[in-house]
Amino acid sequence: MIELKNVRAGYGTPDAFVAAVDDVTLTVNDNEILGIAGESGCGKSTLMRTLYGDFSGGLKMAGGKVTGRFTDPETGRTTESDAARFQDLWWDVMSYVPQGSMSVLNPIMKIEKQIVDALPKREKKGGKAELRQRIIEFLAGFGLPETVLDSYPHQLSGGMRQRVLVAIAAFVRPRLILADEPTTALDVVVQKRILLMLVEIQRRLKNTLVLVSHDLGVHYQMTDRIAIAYAGKIVEVGPTAEVFENPRHPYTEALIGALPRVGQKGERVGLEGRPPSLASPPDGCRFAPRCPQAQAICRQASPPLAEKAPNHASACHFR
Amino acid sequence: MRLLGQIATRLISYVLVIAFGLTVVFFVPRFAPNDPVEAMLAKVSSQGAYMDAAQSDALRASLTDAFGLQGSLLTQYWNFVKRIVLTGDFGPSLAMYPTPVSQLIAQALPWTFGLLLTSTLIAWVLGNFVGLLAGWRPNRVSSRIMEGLAIIVYPIPYYILALVLSILFSYIWPIFPLTASVHGAPWTFAFIKSVVWNSILPALSIVLVVFGWWVISVKAQTTQLAEEEFSRYARLKGLPDRRILTRYILPNAILPQITFLALQIGLMFNGSIVTEILFEYPGLGHLIYMAVIQGDYNLLMGTISLSIIAVATATMIIDLIYPLLDPRIRAR
Repeated sequence: MIELKNVRAGYGTPDAFVAAVDDVTLTVNDNEILGIAGESGCGKSTLMRTLYGDFSGGLKMAGGKVTGRFTDPETGRTTESDAARFQDLWWDVMSYVPQGSMSVLNPIMKIEKQIVDALPKREKKGGKAELRQRIIEFLAGFGLPETVLDSYPHQLSGGMRQRVLVAIAAFVRPRLILADEPTTALDVVVQKRILLMLVEIQRRLKNTLVLVSHDLGVHYQMTDRIAIAYAGKIVEVGPTAEVFENPRHPYTEALIGALPRVGQKGERVGLEGRPPSLASPPDGCRFAPRCPQAQAICRQASPPLAEKAPNHASACHFR
Repeated sequence: MRLLGQIATRLISYVLVIAFGLTVVFFVPRFAPNDPVEAMLAKVSSQGAYMDAAQSDALRASLTDAFGLQGSLLTQYWNFVKRIVLTGDFGPSLAMYPTPVSQLIAQALPWTFGLLLTSTLIAWVLGNFVGLLAGWRPNRVSSRIMEGLAIIVYPIPYYILALVLSILFSYIWPIFPLTASVHGAPWTFAFIKSVVWNSILPALSIVLVVFGWWVISVKAQTTQLAEEEFSRYARLKGLPDRRILTRYILPNAILPQITFLALQIGLMFNGSIVTEILFEYPGLGHLIYMAVIQGDYNLLMGTISLSIIAVATATMIIDLIYPLLDPRIRAR
């Protein structure tokens, strides 16, 4: 379980700080698939990096707290940590699936080496040959032949590379897997395969999967809970089916309303305008300038994310 | 099979390049205005020997024969090719007649190689090491100092740098000899010591100039590779920095540097003309310079042919072994 409390994270100096994640409170539960959705620049990648404790390239936490508590199902041992020390848990308790691309894997290193070099000591106890055998069996479970291990990245197809990335993340049986747009660069057939692979892993390990994607269709099919991000804030969070059926926040409503439906005629309605700059967000509700239901109060007071129905919270004054 | 075909193609192009190079080497000096036979005759008569017309005609004829200059250009070319391919013989030096060119080259080669190989390798290892660290942590003070040094030294014209070094350390503060002069019988300790002593200044000048280039080039590579997705992914896998640097960045950054090194080693057969002239160093560069000044066709052809063959061989070798270093180039 990871808890974010009033987290403010972003880039720049204290004088000129751009908060890509602004005052976000969110709980990521054990044994669930949480989706984070939103358009480009809404802060979902920064949120992801904060969850993973990846504070590099100028990302800083300017406020709030991120705490994690992970229980190992085999030993029953519980690890508690906060984001600043999540690094020590990487590829042990938590792992990460990057967006697939040609250059995620080292082009001149064999796949086997790239799997093995990330493993914690406990996996290497049985010796090299035993480990290789286990990796072969593990990959076979995802339809990857043994030859993959002795291949270089350029010898694999895009789909195979992505399956390898998922397998590398899952092999250590982590309590938390973060997947950042894991299917974005792939065609739909391959996409489905990768997503099924992720779900299967989550069901087997009963761990937590956080899936960042801008594709609402993916969220609808896969996630148990969904959080909608807009301009650095979480504007709505709740059980996925419930959110799609009964969206509360006008932004969510607009997103879902823009999805094409089978048999429907006519054009989909879009939103006017574009998201505000994170460097100088508007006062009040950040969605107000584009919101069809905005009123005077929306431009003055920022609505808190509050539970409006069981487990279903939205950050809107009215809904 | 495909691999064999590729190797065969590469070998054929290797032979063609050398053949073309040797052809150019043969014809160009023959279009030069100075006539080595007449030069030799002038030299003989300037030394006070008196010859009548018949004698000088006889000498001219025998010199022309000895220099391989009789017959039409085509006949000469044919004889030249035959001699080189069959015996590797470039004939006698014209200026230092009758010492064979091959002997002169053999004498100069160890000097040049001792100097250039050592200094190039030192500069390569040092430059890549420094550049790698500077590129990996570009904001560190030490990185900035090293990069600044490289940027300052790199554009200084070599002859100025060498002159400054020579003035500083041979004249103002005379710890190294101004020109090379070797003592002791060959391959005794005293001999080797004096060779090393004589080589330090020229070697230092070469290391300094080349070092800057290696630093700058590998630093650019490293900085770019450190921002590559695979470096980021390796970091998110929890790999320690050292491992990312040595297993992920270094092997990728070093590939182009190996190509450059091989080319440099090939070019070594040219000697380093400026270094060798400035420090009076008895290597190949010095030999080439003398050959040009004295219109010594054979010596010139010999030295230049050698460097053509060396560069062609170096590039061929690098082409052939590159697939072993970079799996992406391997024949599938």
